[in-house]
Amino acid sequence: MNGIFSRNEAFVALIILGLVLIIGSINPNFFTLGTLYDLLRSSVVMGIFGVGVLMVLVSGGTDISFTAIAAFCTYVTSRYLNSIGFEGSVLVAFLISGAIGVLLGLINAILISSFKLPTLIVTLGTGNMFRGFMLAFIGTKIVTVLPPGMIRFSRTEFFPVTTLIGGTNGLSAAVFVLLAVVPVTWYILNYTMLGRGIYAIGGDRVAAERAGLNINVIQFFIYCYVGFLAGIAGIVHSSLVRTANPFDLVGTELSVIAAVVLGGARITGGHGTILGAILGVFLVIIINNSLIMMGVPSYWQSAVIGMIIILGTSITALQSKRESRVSIVDNQ
Amino acid sequence: MSEDFLVVKNVSKSFAGIQALKKVNLVIRRGEVRCLVGENGSGKSTLIKIIAGVEAPDEGEIIIGGKSFRRLYPIDAIREGIQIIYQDFSLFPNLTAAENLAFNYLLQKKQRSVNWKDVQKIAREAMKNIDVTIDLNRRVEELPVADKQLVAISRALLHNARLIIMDEPTTALTRKEVRSLFQVITKLQREGISVLFVSHKLDEILEISERVTILRNGQNVADGDRSEFDRNKLIFHMTGREIEETRYQYVPRHSSETPLLRVDGLSRQGSFANVSFCVYPGEIVGITGLLGSGRTELAMALFGLKPATRGEIYLNGKHIHIRNVQDAIRHGIGYVPEDRLTEGLFLPQSIGNNMVASVIARLKKKMGIIDPQKRDHHIERWIKTLKIVTPSPTLPVRSLSGGNQQRVVLAKWLTTNPKVLILNGPTVGVDIGSKTDIHHIIRNLAQEGIGAVIISDDIPEIIQNCNRILLMRRGRIVEEFSGDQITEEELARKMIGGDGSEPVSSEMAFV
Amino acid sequence: MKKFFVVMMVVFLVALLVSPVMAKKYTIATVVKLDGIAWFERMREGVKKFAQDTGHEAFLVGPPRADAALQVQIIEDLIAQGVDAICVVPFSPEAVEPVLKRAMDQGIVVITHEASNIQNAHWDLEAFDNYAFGAKLMDYLASYMGEEGEYATMVGSLTSKTHMEWITGSVERQKEKYPQMKLVTESPLECYDDQTRAYENMKELLRTYPNLRGVRTSASTAAPGCGLAVEEAGLQDRVHVVGPSLVSLSGQYLKTGAVKVIGFWDPADAGYAMNKLAVMVLEGQEVTDGMDLGVPGYNKLRMDGRVLYGEAWVFVTKDNMDQYNF
Repeated sequence: MNGIFSRNEAFVALIILGLVLIIGSINPNFFTLGTLYDLLRSSVVMGIFGVGVLMVLVSGGTDISFTAIAAFCTYVTSRYLNSIGFEGSVLVAFLISGAIGVLLGLINAILISSFKLPTLIVTLGTGNMFRGFMLAFIGTKIVTVLPPGMIRFSRTEFFPVTTLIGGTNGLSAAVFVLLAVVPVTWYILNYTMLGRGIYAIGGDRVAAERAGLNINVIQFFIYCYVGFLAGIAGIVHSSLVRTANPFDLVGTELSVIAAVVLGGARITGGHGTILGAILGVFLVIIINNSLIMMGVPSYWQSAVIGMIIILGTSITALQSKRESRVSIVDNQ
Repeated sequence: MSEDFLVVKNVSKSFAGIQALKKVNLVIRRGEVRCLVGENGSGKSTLIKIIAGVEAPDEGEIIIGGKSFRRLYPIDAIREGIQIIYQDFSLFPNLTAAENLAFNYLLQKKQRSVNWKDVQKIAREAMKNIDVTIDLNRRVEELPVADKQLVAISRALLHNARLIIMDEPTTALTRKEVRSLFQVITKLQREGISVLFVSHKLDEILEISERVTILRNGQNVADGDRSEFDRNKLIFHMTGREIEETRYQYVPRHSSETPLLRVDGLSRQGSFANVSFCVYPGEIVGITGLLGSGRTELAMALFGLKPATRGEIYLNGKHIHIRNVQDAIRHGIGYVPEDRLTEGLFLPQSIGNNMVASVIARLKKKMGIIDPQKRDHHIERWIKTLKIVTPSPTLPVRSLSGGNQQRVVLAKWLTTNPKVLILNGPTVGVDIGSKTDIHHIIRNLAQEGIGAVIISDDIPEIIQNCNRILLMRRGRIVEEFSGDQITEEELARKMIGGDGSEPVSSEMAFV
Repeated sequence: MKKFFVVMMVVFLVALLVSPVMAKKYTIATVVKLDGIAWFERMREGVKKFAQDTGHEAFLVGPPRADAALQVQIIEDLIAQGVDAICVVPFSPEAVEPVLKRAMDQGIVVITHEASNIQNAHWDLEAFDNYAFGAKLMDYLASYMGEEGEYATMVGSLTSKTHMEWITGSVERQKEKYPQMKLVTESPLECYDDQTRAYENMKELLRTYPNLRGVRTSASTAAPGCGLAVEEAGLQDRVHVVGPSLVSLSGQYLKTGAVKVIGFWDPADAGYAMNKLAVMVLEGQEVTDGMDLGVPGYNKLRMDGRVLYGEAWVFVTKDNMDQYNF
């Protein structure tokens, strides 16, 4: 455990702090509890995805099928629960969706470990396959009336406050899903041999094999776990938007990966922390949801987001380059 | 308890009909340092793999601590106390030294969860075994190579190692680091741990080993006490031929000749400063110095990889600018890099493609299509000239031995008809036979009028092949010798820093 | 067996006798952007009804994926089959220009929809003039806002020509007729046709402008996204969402009042009208400014060059939402 709060994370946290101060100085309305609630709620889905992406990146792989898995899981689950007229708790929806996610993740894992194909190619293929299968055989009609359990879940809020405009705002129950996923994954990654094995295979696969790690087992775990997280994120997303839209989510995978990389994970594997990933997601969410408050004209917003991401990642990259330069000199 | 820890008896192994080992015997006593010597392809690595249980022998017997094994599995080998330190150390660069030390241990113990206090404790104990201190909380990728090796050794000891096999352990180490590695080996030996030291560096073999086993073509060719061997004997047994170590004789053509390459006051911030020297046609100039003395950076600057920031370069008396690799190639400068695997070759590509990679533009017909006849002619010619051993130039470069790979790199640059050839560590990781051949090639080229610059810390290589030697220290050329003026011992002493007392760390501090 | 044969012969002869009397039957294909989604399923209903009403062979096809190249392929197949007319809702007007030119060169009648800048078509039929539609939506928004207060606008993307025209129509109407209203967004916000993004935008608007009273959305998914934000904050009576959408998307928010009015055009009518226009061209009838296609909303077409505009807008509130199933 090389310091919980590494340089990179401290750096992202600093950017966030600076950004918050800038936004607040431009628009003091930013400093309200309601804003915090909104930002947290917005971070949940990307945050859960980010946790999964982090695990895959650390292992040296890339997964771009998780959004397709999420869309698949939540759409199938919502349609199924509606078809049987299920009115019970959202936990059942999470369970079913998570289970479907595990199954789809299993398909990824089987293809990756048995054919030894690059993970990017496999997940590119399976992502399209899952989505195509859903649209062709399950349906394309948007579910606008969700199972009652999911609607109740989306309406559950805590600690309500009155907003400036006169409405009410509370902390969404969905935030607690992220608050559960983060420590569990953090524990797995840092306090189990399985988690350390994920770092190990991301660091040096051959060394991991020689050490006697069963790489297949680890990969099966990773992709099933990511599938599970995608299933959970899917239900949270549908609940929060109150629709299960089969066309949704797919297309956001790269911004999730960008956020996680912003938080210090490396595409080449072995590096990255949960805290970093979550900070990266927060940063992206804050940027995405504050440009209106800052009065950035809409035709500038995409450009501003792009610039901040490039700035953030290049500073991180520069940092790691400097680190590696130091080590080259040491080698000599 | 018998004195012999490991006995390999009449072991044979063949792969796809090719006999890699023929009735090989090897005995290692407790607490003995044994050197296993042989050229590439002599069967060294197969033998190591069999001892580690990775490969099963076709016939023969392995006896460890009195227990006989017909078929040894890796887990048996580990259980019996055999640990291998691979050339790449098999460490996890992204994890801390402490975790690297503890990881395999915890894995063997079938631990499921990680207690970080235990990790620290295990790591500290591991380092105590060999009496060295390194920062356990740094990531391994941030550690110098020597420290990485120490981590790998202490990790091996954690598994109650009785025999540590070190595969070419000194390849990436500086002389100072080799010294401290030898101290560690001696310490291990005192504790009754045997070491199998696999190498083809003759000086090291003669220095560290107690007993030597030499393999050639998969067979035992010599075995005995170190005292029975000297350099020439080792070379003879390894190569099977007498290789005379001659010195290169440079004959100046005209005294008034302009230098092929003249470098004047060349500097690059933080790498080297105020470097001036000349190379005349037919000369082989050696530039030597410790790692970090700036020699590699100088080579890279001459080839435009990391251009110099100040100073002049003249080619045939003409002032030229080298701002990038394209400039260097255009002016006729060729470069054989230190790390051919990552810088010099496209490993998965064919031998032929690699050879013509730097002259593609010249092989083009109209419309930009490559002329296959011209290309094949090129490839054939260089395979012949450089005696590259391969069934076909269409095979990937990966399939070649180190020596042959290095020849392909040479061919790649010779196709450009360079006027000046810069060779950075031209024989690193190349076995003795090929080494001699490569030296001959370089000498022939020089005699044909090329100016060659060899950058190396292989002292015999420099002394035998260079008519002039420039010594670099802290980024500056500090001394110049004529090749037949200086002995190996003298040069070695001067390299380390005059009286040899200067600490290496100050070399680091400069860069 | 013999008897069957005789009957068949009779039927055949009668058919031969009768056919010259009836008008010629045409084969008309309607090619849509994407097959299987609710919008074009509704259009298929219109095309089917047209086939039933007139006896022409009219059918609807479309690619399984939203992909310009696939749509071009389908049109090429139809040319090879030798259909009489092709009605197209192009995925990308530029991408289909060459293939439509080939169709016209072979004497096939080409009618387009949602492509007012198309070059290679006999006619382009638009359900309505986009500016006029925007103005209408503004009238609704103004009436809910009491013709005063702050409002914001949102488009799918700033490069969406249609969305920008709708918004321009709205903003111009506001400036002209409702001077007490104030636009707070200098340029429309983008939601990338994503419901979540629209929701986030709305949330941020509510944080930024405490006096906000209304939003004019454009993408069909934006109204429900904004509606959700309004509903969650319990601001149905204060903040009014008006914009193009579909009942299937916005129904639940219309019901609660989080979305006040949605506007659209009925794809069934559009499909019917396109096919009818195609037959007119095939039969050589003259197309004139102000003519009546006999389809609701297409009774008085305004001609502008090659483009014909109807007034086929439909506005839906919670009171009449039950009439629409798409």
